[in-house]
Amino acid sequence: MVDLTVEIAPGLILKNPVLTASGTFGYGREYAPYFDIAKLGGIITKGLSLEPKTGNPGIRITETACGMLNAIGLENIGIEQFLSMELPLLRKLGAVVIVNIFGQEQADYAALAARLDGVEGISALEINISCPNVKAGGIQFGTDPAAAAKLVAAVRQATSLPLITKLSPNVSDIVAIAQAVVEAGSDALSLINTLMGMAIDLDRKKPILGNTTGGLSGPAIKPVALRMVYQVASAVSVPVIGIGGIVNQRDALEFLLAGATAVEIGTASFINPQSAALIVAGIENYLDRQGCKRVVDFIGSLEKNPA
Amino acid sequence: MAGIRCWTLFLFNAEIIDKQKLSQGIFRLRLKSGKDFCRAAKPGRFVMLGIDNSLFDPLLRRPFGLCRWHEEWFEVVIKNVGRGSAQLCQLEKGGSVAVHGPLGNGYPQQKTEEGEVSPLFLVAGGMGIASIASYIFSALDSNQSLTETFLFYGAASYAELILLNELTAAVALGLRIKTITDDGSCGRHGLVTQILAAELLNNSQARIFACGPEAMLKSVQKILQTGGNEGYLSLENRMACGFGVCLGCVQTVFAETGAGGVETAKVCTQGPVFPARKVIF
Repeated sequence: MVDLTVEIAPGLILKNPVLTASGTFGYGREYAPYFDIAKLGGIITKGLSLEPKTGNPGIRITETACGMLNAIGLENIGIEQFLSMELPLLRKLGAVVIVNIFGQEQADYAALAARLDGVEGISALEINISCPNVKAGGIQFGTDPAAAAKLVAAVRQATSLPLITKLSPNVSDIVAIAQAVVEAGSDALSLINTLMGMAIDLDRKKPILGNTTGGLSGPAIKPVALRMVYQVASAVSVPVIGIGGIVNQRDALEFLLAGATAVEIGTASFINPQSAALIVAGIENYLDRQGCKRVVDFIGSLEKNPA
Repeated sequence: MAGIRCWTLFLFNAEIIDKQKLSQGIFRLRLKSGKDFCRAAKPGRFVMLGIDNSLFDPLLRRPFGLCRWHEEWFEVVIKNVGRGSAQLCQLEKGGSVAVHGPLGNGYPQQKTEEGEVSPLFLVAGGMGIASIASYIFSALDSNQSLTETFLFYGAASYAELILLNELTAAVALGLRIKTITDDGSCGRHGLVTQILAAELLNNSQARIFACGPEAMLKSVQKILQTGGNEGYLSLENRMACGFGVCLGCVQTVFAETGAGGVETAKVCTQGPVFPARKVIF
């Protein structure tokens, strides 16, 4: 038996370090036929806004080498419908629920945080300041340390829930943003959101995606994500959650070595709905074979000298 | 998979037990499956198929309509049009394919009112035949009557009128078939929607199931609006997951509540078959 528990925010202890990335796990319900979602460290919902949102028109996804571009545009059912229609089922299933929130303005974020404060069955908030696909998807907050800090401070004021801030890789210095939001009261960080990209239909001389640009995810972005997690985890004292192209336990374990306290599984869940559950089992198996009794001993144990 | 309870049996690696070339770049794969899988299969439902590869390139699975199934196998028809389908087409008998499904909702049941069967027009364009054929094969394999059922089938050329020989077997059950090709190499010269428009003139009661390229479906929808007939369109939007999560495949539709409201519907879980009047192209 390996102790897989991790603490990703003060007092928030997860049964294992595997979470699901926002936008790839729906509201949890969609995965219930495939495995017991309570077996995960937690699930992170699709990004929710105060009002329902319909998302972008036109083609929304396209595959690229070892990855995919998406320009969904934060389509979601809105916070009230989530609370009345989706949360009760998640509670019944016993899942640890982290709600991803986004807004157009700072006040929207604060209002969402206030609305969710004290709601039973919600363990933490993940603040999306990094969606590249809509102008009002938080990215305007996510690329400037001062704006990011101001937003996080406002959310911090509005709720006592643990706060995880999800960072964009589409910045020149992710460490500066990370330090700014930690300073402003973020209890943890999750990174990376998708890398902004583009695909072109050569023969028709047109962009493929309806939104022209989209967010790149999948194994193609893993090296970038690992590098950023390593840099951020080395620079901040709060837990870091690694995201980016994780498709199996080996990928997940590499992020833990780099200093991530937990990981989020994203695109892999589209390919195999059981991915996150398989990764939990795979991590346990690997650590057991290594004679490692506690996952926390493995986290950040990367040796400095290159192989 | 220690400690993981799996409620669905339909996420598995299937052996290719037969492979057949139907036309240039078009193959039929017969895949081994369980009996439960076949019980869940329905005309119009689909599967997500993937290459079992450790390099994750191509990354995503691809959707294919279930064409035919029987006890311990099912068949899909794959046309080589891109990176994913190219790799699937290269697989040989004995190889393995990652399967997820059956997914989505199929075509509605044949309508009977006081014992009267209303005419059913099946409209297939190109590869849309794979989905439309599932309705006919399903009847053929359970020996159901196909009286008052018409297949209007269009393709680029005679060579691409795939499955036609096998579908002809259903003529014994009452099916009537009309073909048309873009180049006139079989049947009339033209588009399948021309047949539909002409036939509907004498048949105000007919219901329509259609599957094919978007331009064809748009045209079918227009013809139905004119005639006032009830019809269903099987859509084929790009999708990453196939089970309602990625929101990549959504289609703009008229809202259920009526009043002209508009909403998005997931082609994978709310479709792929939609009432024609709901779809907004």
